[in-house]
Amino acid sequence: MISMLRSKLLRLLFALCAATTWAAEVMPPAPKDHFNDFAHVVSNQTAQTLNRVLEDFEKQTSSQVVVAIFPTMQSPSSIEDYVHRIFVNWQIGQKGKNNGVLLAAFVRERRMRIEVGYGLEGALPDAVAKRIIAEEISPHLRRGNYDAGLQAGVTAILQAIRGEYKGTGRTAAQGRNQIGLPVGLTFFLLICLVILSVFMKAIRGMRGVVYRRSGRQIFRGGWGGGGSGGGWSGGGWSGGGGGDSSAGSFSGGGGDSGGGGASGSW
Amino acid sequence: MIDMKKSWLALGCLGVIGVGLLIIVLSAGALYNRLNARSQEVDKQWAQVQNVYQRRADLIPNLVATVSGAANFEKSTLTEITEARASVGQVKLDPNKAPDDPARLAEFQKAQEHLSSALSRLLVVVERYPELKATTNFRDLQAQLEGTENRITVERQKYNEAVQRYNTSVKSFPANFLAGLYGFQPKPYFTATEGAETPPKVEFDFGTKKKAQ
Repeated sequence: MISMLRSKLLRLLFALCAATTWAAEVMPPAPKDHFNDFAHVVSNQTAQTLNRVLEDFEKQTSSQVVVAIFPTMQSPSSIEDYVHRIFVNWQIGQKGKNNGVLLAAFVRERRMRIEVGYGLEGALPDAVAKRIIAEEISPHLRRGNYDAGLQAGVTAILQAIRGEYKGTGRTAAQGRNQIGLPVGLTFFLLICLVILSVFMKAIRGMRGVVYRRSGRQIFRGGWGGGGSGGGWSGGGWSGGGGGDSSAGSFSGGGGDSGGGGASGSW
Repeated sequence: MIDMKKSWLALGCLGVIGVGLLIIVLSAGALYNRLNARSQEVDKQWAQVQNVYQRRADLIPNLVATVSGAANFEKSTLTEITEARASVGQVKLDPNKAPDDPARLAEFQKAQEHLSSALSRLLVVVERYPELKATTNFRDLQAQLEGTENRITVERQKYNEAVQRYNTSVKSFPANFLAGLYGFQPKPYFTATEGAETPPKVEFDFGTKKKAQ
């Protein structure tokens, strides 16, 4: 009886411990660019060049390749588990095609991983991902040359997956307008607005001045907002990116991954 | 006059009952559809789990061939792997339908874990053969094995999440009354792997016992 109670208590204690270590994890918010150097180890010029390369690649092939260099791994879990969850959170790759690749590096741990979405497992199998890490990237990073290492890594990844999918000439980020609404929804809302305004006019015509003020207020209330959910840029994930600071080149396309890829250290 | 009134009343009652019945039938149908969709989601994920386990099993002949090519490689490790793979093949579960029986799933999991541990022992033994480790063939195989193990973890987790969604809808009100009638039973989960489940050794009886080690 007592031993049962004790084992229950112990289990509770472990659950609590697990919960607190879980809380210690930081899930980085989706980035604005394809190339993200949160650790500030790559020169600005290389970062911008690579970002443009990756953006163009998405336009040409629709495949989303994202690079993220973190100063440290903010999770008690394994690199495979953590990077997989980052991948899923950022929704790298297009919906349905799942053609995303995430190259994540953690500078303090000197560990990196290439996580490959379902749709690219054939073009970029684990053994190739492992070879890219071991032969293309790690040798440069070991010498402290992050610019060369990432350049070589990105080139090798793009080479492996080029030709697997056809692009639309646009990135997922461009498919959305500034408020962050998909194009289709914007059209739909515009049509609603037109119909609504016709209705309003008709009602106003029927009832005179009575509805006028409230009608206007509805308008202001409904359309004043619409700011995108920012607010993360201050918390240590800022900066270090590539392209234009205003718009950002990357927006997750809704891709998924099944844990394919490889990890390595340098 | 009175007859007229009565028949109107009866008609009204009948109408109300009819509408009530219609609502019940429609919502029961909707409930069935929802349970069915969740159940199929579980089956789909189960197929995915089987898929990655099969992928691992398919790697083994190649691995055994590569390793046994190395000069005087320990035969016992290889026999163990071959046996473990054979025992995995003996636990036959329908690849297109998630198991309802916890015992069957446990049996399946046990066989797979036996293979996992045999594989990890092999990788430990390989550390003693640097020439073998350096070959491209072995390195590629190792990358594939690592990737497959990771896929297994991911797909199992996704499976458990799908089962959780399904079980929640089976057990919640009002589905819990109808799910049994329709034949929807709660499905078993994968349990944490042995070793991962055992908590780290921490001694809580301060002073009463001497520390192990």
